[in-house]
Amino acid sequence: MTIASYYRPETVDEALGILATRGPELLVIAGGTIAMPLINEGISLPTEVMGLRRAGLDTFAPQGDVVVIGATLPITRLTQQTDVPLLRLAALRTASWSVRNMATVGGNLFAPPPAGDVATALLALDARVTLRGLDGSRELVLDKFWTGFMTTALNPGELLTEIKVPLENVTTTFIKFGRKRDNTPAVVTVAVVAELNDGAVAGARIALGAAGPHPIRARNAEAELHGRALSASVIAAAADAAAAECDPFTDALASETYRRQMVRLFVGRALAQLKPATNGREA
Amino acid sequence: MNIRGSYSLHAPRERVFAAICDPQELMAVIPGCRDVHRLANGDYEGSIVLRLPGAVGTYHTTVRLVDVVVPERSGLEGRVDGVMGAIRGTASFGLGEERDGTRIDYQGSAEIQGPLSRLDSRFTEKLAETLISQGLKALDARLRTEVPT
Repeated sequence: MTIASYYRPETVDEALGILATRGPELLVIAGGTIAMPLINEGISLPTEVMGLRRAGLDTFAPQGDVVVIGATLPITRLTQQTDVPLLRLAALRTASWSVRNMATVGGNLFAPPPAGDVATALLALDARVTLRGLDGSRELVLDKFWTGFMTTALNPGELLTEIKVPLENVTTTFIKFGRKRDNTPAVVTVAVVAELNDGAVAGARIALGAAGPHPIRARNAEAELHGRALSASVIAAAADAAAAECDPFTDALASETYRRQMVRLFVGRALAQLKPATNGREA
Repeated sequence: MNIRGSYSLHAPRERVFAAICDPQELMAVIPGCRDVHRLANGDYEGSIVLRLPGAVGTYHTTVRLVDVVVPERSGLEGRVDGVMGAIRGTASFGLGEERDGTRIDYQGSAEIQGPLSRLDSRFTEKLAETLISQGLKALDARLRTEVPT
């Protein structure tokens, strides 16, 4: 079976109209880096596909205390901005240049683990997603967007249109550990956003990639840090907590046991790298 | 593909067993379910739409209950057919009484045929676990809203 119809809407409203008309069997893609390999391999066999690349969602717009990122912004564009350094780091460690040129920020939220490095950074940044349907739009914190492995809160008839990233006076670190340095799936990805006050942690968000059914927050580890100075013992306690609460899996890259050990190691390293913010926003 | 798990439901065992056998209840709680009805021979037939990253499709489903012991346990034999392939399997569940309701323990195994079989089994097993978990969570939410009689 081959793709019989390909729709290329030029506005979100047009896209929502097509989605409503064609129904749930319409495959929606953006960059196509998840879907096209499956289609080319003959695993995914859609008859109707809608590509969102021309729907006007490839925007990156700082607006006051938030950056609004269009869902189809190519990941490469994140490497060219300085407003959110954590996203720049995550983008640079995602796949290869050629894939980053096609893959989109919104699409990365749907990528099954061990993919989803940008999604992990967005989770640490406490991003919100806008889900839009013909009847209106709603916002969700990213933590509530994923409902399980390869499943999301997106309802039939809705499209993910925007990701809103708060600009905060915080310090951040990002570590991706893979079997090689570049263009590699993650054994584990760690993104940390922290507010430091006189050397103590006033608040922290730790996100883990490839350590669960989707990017997850290490909330017990975050609690270990709250109000404490980043001493070796505090970092070790937080790293132990992250290793205990994550839910890793075994694949061709790494076993569940190894991934859990790497969560402990790289959460510890990421926390040790935290430095106080040096400017008005993210350091 | 092998699956196994358990879940606590906040309703009496008899009510849980009845809900699992009721097509209308099933349609309300199975993720992506568009239709379930009971055939004259007692089998269940229905369709489920799955929208996954990179793949969408409608799957025609038939399920037969076997070795039924109301309200304790039952076996299931079923087949799922769609454009991406077919899944044929058997499963069983048992219902045990708990202080706050009923514990369901389930296990099953299935053979995947067609394009789906080329996916890493990690994907199909994890996805099956997710969908079952979401279905049981939705069933529990429905049962919790019922007024005790």
